[in-house]
Amino acid sequence: MAQIELLDVNKTYAVGNNVVKAVDGVTLEIEKGEFISIVGHSGSGKTTLLSIIGGILSPSTGRVVVDNTDIYALDEDRLSEYRALKIGCIFQFSSLLPVLTAKENLLLPTVFRPEKGNGFEKKAVEHLALVGLEDKIDAHPSQLSGGQQRRVAIARAFMNDPDIIIADEPTGDLDEETEAEVMELFKGINRQRGITFILVTHSSELAKDATRRLRMTRGRIQEL
Amino acid sequence: MKFSLLSLALKNLKRKSFRTAVLITSIGLLVSILVFGTSFLLTISSSIKRSTDRLGADLLVVPVGARDFAEEVLLETKAKNFYMDKSIIEKVGKIEGIEKLTYQTYLTTIYGLCCDIPAVKVVAFNQETDFIIKPWLERAIGRKLGKGEVIIGAEAAENFELLDVDRSTLFGMKFNMAGVLEKTGTGLDNALFVSDENIGEIIERGKSGLRPDQISLIFTKVKKGLDPYAVGRSVEGEILEVDVIARSDMGKKIISTLKDINGIFLLTIVLACLLSTFLAWTIFSAIVNERLREVGIMRAIGAKGSHIVKMFIIEVFTIGLIGSLSGVMFGNYLSLTLSRVFGLLRDVAGTLTLMERVEVSLLGLAVGTGICIIGALSSIIRIKRLEPLMALKEG
Repeated sequence: MAQIELLDVNKTYAVGNNVVKAVDGVTLEIEKGEFISIVGHSGSGKTTLLSIIGGILSPSTGRVVVDNTDIYALDEDRLSEYRALKIGCIFQFSSLLPVLTAKENLLLPTVFRPEKGNGFEKKAVEHLALVGLEDKIDAHPSQLSGGQQRRVAIARAFMNDPDIIIADEPTGDLDEETEAEVMELFKGINRQRGITFILVTHSSELAKDATRRLRMTRGRIQEL
Repeated sequence: MKFSLLSLALKNLKRKSFRTAVLITSIGLLVSILVFGTSFLLTISSSIKRSTDRLGADLLVVPVGARDFAEEVLLETKAKNFYMDKSIIEKVGKIEGIEKLTYQTYLTTIYGLCCDIPAVKVVAFNQETDFIIKPWLERAIGRKLGKGEVIIGAEAAENFELLDVDRSTLFGMKFNMAGVLEKTGTGLDNALFVSDENIGEIIERGKSGLRPDQISLIFTKVKKGLDPYAVGRSVEGEILEVDVIARSDMGKKIISTLKDINGIFLLTIVLACLLSTFLAWTIFSAIVNERLREVGIMRAIGAKGSHIVKMFIIEVFTIGLIGSLSGVMFGNYLSLTLSRVFGLLRDVAGTLTLMERVEVSLLGLAVGTGICIIGALSSIIRIKRLEPLMALKEG
């Protein structure tokens, strides 16, 4: 059975007197360990679909089943635990908390774990080293460049050892060299740990790195 | 400090330190008004209650028209002279229902003419019949006062020290200080007590206007089971030269004035609380709105609604607590230092007990912290209910 199943998922928004269908009857199966890219124009519903898979936006209709659990049938607290433990989120915008240092931003998701653990401080330092920011541990976001902030956010997504990474334009602020390094890192983690990656991107080049490519057009999805 | 929601909340407070300081100051000012006002009213009402409770008499018999003077002497720090004929003692003793009685005579020293220190009253009491001073006297010196001896009230002792006067001379007579009474919180704290054996000599020396056949006041105890009011009416009906005050009626005039002040204070404080709640609501709405995006991020990476509520409650509670604590300290400071500025407070004897002060402080803490939490609650609940992506978009 697939790790992620989307069954006739729809999402509509009311914009003034009009109803906009952001996701239109999407049915999709994603196996564990897949590296998926989703491309499409702005407003095609990519981010909405990614958010629905990530448990941060409920669909208007349809079901999202992850590891045999209908996640939107869970109560609010269980859904939060699903986000904390199963999902690693990388946003398309700067998503660090400005009052926290790079290390504290990495520690933030560990605070939300239902069971507290040890060794997170060490793990945070290791993750920052992995993205080349071992010398920025105590730096605040305002002291980091856009690219560095993005790398901290990427490192944060892995702190709770998630099963699935959802990434919305994860390399948007990065230069070509760093972008390539990050993609290599993603692919390496995907291969070694079997984590499922779902990437939303405008870049056809990045999309090519995925093992499975999807396109969204006006809320509908198709395989490429 | 290990990273936690608490450290995040404290960092959030530090980030907008000016706004945090304004909120803390506002809450602090409100609480200080509350603590000061409540202390003011409580000092007066409990001082009167303490004074009447400690009198130990059911009825006070005073010269006609001297009710107010008697209350001023016994409940406040004022010194007044009022006299009636000594023969009234016998008449009162014959009234049906009177179990026992004693009397006192009041004189005023000249020291009260100086500065802000009130005139010190001299209470001459009969040691054979007394049941008013006796318990305190026994605690202070453990024996009766001898002729030419004086025992001094706690506040009068302080005033005498301030004036640096010769303690041993009163009305031209030499007295030995037998001791200082413990603070009673009544008007008698500002008094000197002598045995009425000394009255004759004081009169002989001609330093007071008192005549040998005069006393100021008679304290009576009513027989068990009888209505003090009924006995008091009998006394007034049979002895035309006197007025009678029942213990439960003591201080009624002040208490009635106090009720009006209380009403005004209550209205003011309710309005101030509403204003502060509205201020807290406005500020916390703004805080929550400007942090919608951060909350969205936190929810997206696994924060439960309860985590968000906890974080904001820690912030609100910290502001409320620091503000309230400062307010409690400032309010108590005002109440202690300004107590002599207000006539009503200057005239009543005694201050709040430690327990009363703790109660007022706890009230201040609860109101200050409560206002912050109530003011912030609607914004916190609203943000808790938002879906993570909606919070991100609205932010």
